[in-house]
Amino acid sequence: MADSVTARTPKRSLRTLAPKQSLGKTILQYKYFYLMVLPVLIWYALFSYAPMYGVTLAFKSFNYSKGILGSPWIGLENFQTLLTDPDFRRAFWNTVIISLMKLITHFPMPIILAIVLYEFSRTKMKRFFQTILTFPHFISWVVLSGIIINILSKDGIYNQIIMLFGGDPNSPLVDESAFRPVLYITHVWREIGWDSIIYLAALAGINPELFEAAEVDGANRFRRLLNIAWPGLKSTVAVLLILQVGQLLTQGSSFEQIFNLYSSPVYSVADTIDTYIYRTSFTIGSDFGYTTAVGVVKSIISLILLWAANTFAKKMGEEGLY
Amino acid sequence: MLRKKMMTLALCITLLASVLTACGGGNNDKGQSGSNGEGTTDSFNSTDNPYKDPMTITLGFWDADAEIANIEKDPIAKQVLEKFKITLKPVNMTWDDYTQKIQMWAASGQLPDIFAIDAVGTQYQRKWVEQGVVKALPELSKYPNLAKYFESPDIKGLGVDGKYYTVPRRMFPSVDWSALDRMVFYRWDLAQKVGITKEPETWEEFEAMLDAIVKADPEGKRITGLTTTTTKMLGGFFWLYGNPVATSDGSGSDFKWIKEDGKFIPAVFSKNALPALQNMKNMYEKGLIDPDIALVKPAESYDNFVAGKAAALLSGGGYINLNGDMYEKRWKTAYPDKDMTESVKALKPLIGPDGERSHAIFKTYWSESYFSNKVDDKKMDRIMALYDYVLSTEGKDLLTYGIEGVDYKIENGQKVVIEKGSLNEKYPASRFLKNLVAYETSDSYNMDNPTIANESIRQDAVDYIDWIQNNTKVPEYDIRLTYMSTPTKDKFTVLDHDDLLKIMLSKEPVESYWNNILNDYKAKGLDKMIEEVNAKAKEQGIE
Repeated sequence: MADSVTARTPKRSLRTLAPKQSLGKTILQYKYFYLMVLPVLIWYALFSYAPMYGVTLAFKSFNYSKGILGSPWIGLENFQTLLTDPDFRRAFWNTVIISLMKLITHFPMPIILAIVLYEFSRTKMKRFFQTILTFPHFISWVVLSGIIINILSKDGIYNQIIMLFGGDPNSPLVDESAFRPVLYITHVWREIGWDSIIYLAALAGINPELFEAAEVDGANRFRRLLNIAWPGLKSTVAVLLILQVGQLLTQGSSFEQIFNLYSSPVYSVADTIDTYIYRTSFTIGSDFGYTTAVGVVKSIISLILLWAANTFAKKMGEEGLY
Repeated sequence: MLRKKMMTLALCITLLASVLTACGGGNNDKGQSGSNGEGTTDSFNSTDNPYKDPMTITLGFWDADAEIANIEKDPIAKQVLEKFKITLKPVNMTWDDYTQKIQMWAASGQLPDIFAIDAVGTQYQRKWVEQGVVKALPELSKYPNLAKYFESPDIKGLGVDGKYYTVPRRMFPSVDWSALDRMVFYRWDLAQKVGITKEPETWEEFEAMLDAIVKADPEGKRITGLTTTTTKMLGGFFWLYGNPVATSDGSGSDFKWIKEDGKFIPAVFSKNALPALQNMKNMYEKGLIDPDIALVKPAESYDNFVAGKAAALLSGGGYINLNGDMYEKRWKTAYPDKDMTESVKALKPLIGPDGERSHAIFKTYWSESYFSNKVDDKKMDRIMALYDYVLSTEGKDLLTYGIEGVDYKIENGQKVVIEKGSLNEKYPASRFLKNLVAYETSDSYNMDNPTIANESIRQDAVDYIDWIQNNTKVPEYDIRLTYMSTPTKDKFTVLDHDDLLKIMLSKEPVESYWNNILNDYKAKGLDKMIEEVNAKAKEQGIE
């Protein structure tokens, strides 16, 4: 808390010291800085904000010859269809379940890994494990899914072990009860190393003298973790939790992972909003207006989740994102 | 100082402007637009030869980059394009992404002049026609070969308000030939090794053969039973057990209708569906179907079959693909001393519970050419002229048999091949140019035709289709109902291969799972669609 107060102090003093002047004058005064930021602003305006007019498609019936702007308005018809569509309902609940379960199963893992690696006294071993665990993050889901399918196929190592113990071979990838756990496990496997880096950085930022002093005072390893490492990590954990919750419905139910691993026997437990939009837009060929409405619903839910997580973090005494 | 600052500012603006200009460039090639300004127009010469002005035509076709690059190495393809002064410019798409790419191009007004897709009956194809995304074909009387081509009943039926918007790629002269497009090949050498002496003719015999091979595993490779190159093909085989009209091409929109209990219903939902599903499930539970069938990939399936890891393979493309994907790419390297036709047999349509030998039933064409609405009349005329020529006897012969006197000669009115090597290698773009207009796969099932280069395979192919035409019959159904447009039907898809896979791998009994699937379809408007179709059929006098 003291740190954050000191961090804010210079900002305040700058604000009080700065003479009051109009925006135009300020821009003129710092024109080169503004000029440097201009391409970024233009980029955002062109590629992030301008395309958002496409959201209007959720309230229209798309007409190829008239384009997005010229297509006729149909009010909330797409949203009404969406509510009565059993496939959408199934995809929605799958998205929520898979995202939340991924958050629960994955989020603590990199923190634990970071603490374990931090406690590793041998630097070489630490680097070895860190490299090994970070490596899968750089392999695309297309390649990884090929590896996973081979491992879990009839001739794969998984079934060979099952058969060694007298079990019947089966692939969890086509089993409704086993598919989601495969998603969670493979997600942790791919991301644990990469996600732990930021926590390792936070741990590295803690003054080592604090650990030494605690050791002198007789604190054991667990105490040192609880009273020194954890408070140092807490704010990072809170920020990352908010970010993850904000992306829960998109990255949580990772399109690439599911799309490359699923098949029709597991659609009932694996079809998420993203894979549903993809299949209905391109395979079946439904109205783009309808699939945009699905996307809009997903964005609204993400926004609500982000707001809830931020409020929760603030109530817990952390800074939050805004 | 001020000058320096002004210079910096000017440089920044120039840089930014050039970045934005580059970003905005996109695919807008003015040269391909409808109001094309290609070539110089010489009015006098144009009247002498309507195809004198060079013209660039953009083409979205599978692997167009590679196919069009081959034109340079192919004197015949060059000659044909030169005749019409056409330069083809590729707009690449692959088998994995073509549906997505074309829909995105259609939505953003960036369609190539010609593009290929299998879209008949889909929601988006209907919208392309209604909303003017694709250009209607001109009056066909000027193009006699094309006009004749459109006389075939299921191609003629594609007209909308008296106009055609697509040129379908015909494969076969009649529906009987569809038998070639979902074929099961099996390892006869392995069957013989385990004591099978008779080629299977009934479902029971086929199952007994698979069972014997899987149990004996003669090569110790943990062999599996039947596998497939893609799960989309499953219906093309399993519905043949007493419900053959339910076979579809996997698009979800080509389902056929039969009359049951006094009304038309999609054949997939017939009373005959349940026994077919039960038969499939029994085969799976007995271990006669690859347990990894849901996850198959084409190349791996061919590899497994050739390597002796699968006893039977369900695949598409008939003997042409057997020759290309199996023999050329795999078999002749793996077993250089083994005649493939001695070791691999095609499964003849099995006698089903109804006592009939049924085969898959599709349309006589697969995929279609469409033309962007930005193509102007002059360019459309040139495209139609090219299509007409490729369909003409002269064009067909040139692109199929090569050059007379060099690659073939005429003896007693028959074409006799002179060139013994593969014409596909000698003329690497000719087949593509032919396929651009129509596959005409049936032409290859002729001993005079060199498309299937391996003569033993060619002989098997000819014998097989002869046998099909003499021993099978196509059950009755009305294609007009498949093409019929009603509000609910236009949005309705039946992805039966997904349903078959779910039933096969589910732990639930077949009947209850099938009822769940039926209820899902009902929730999506099945009953309403049946009502609409029956009402419209009555209106149109379809009995």
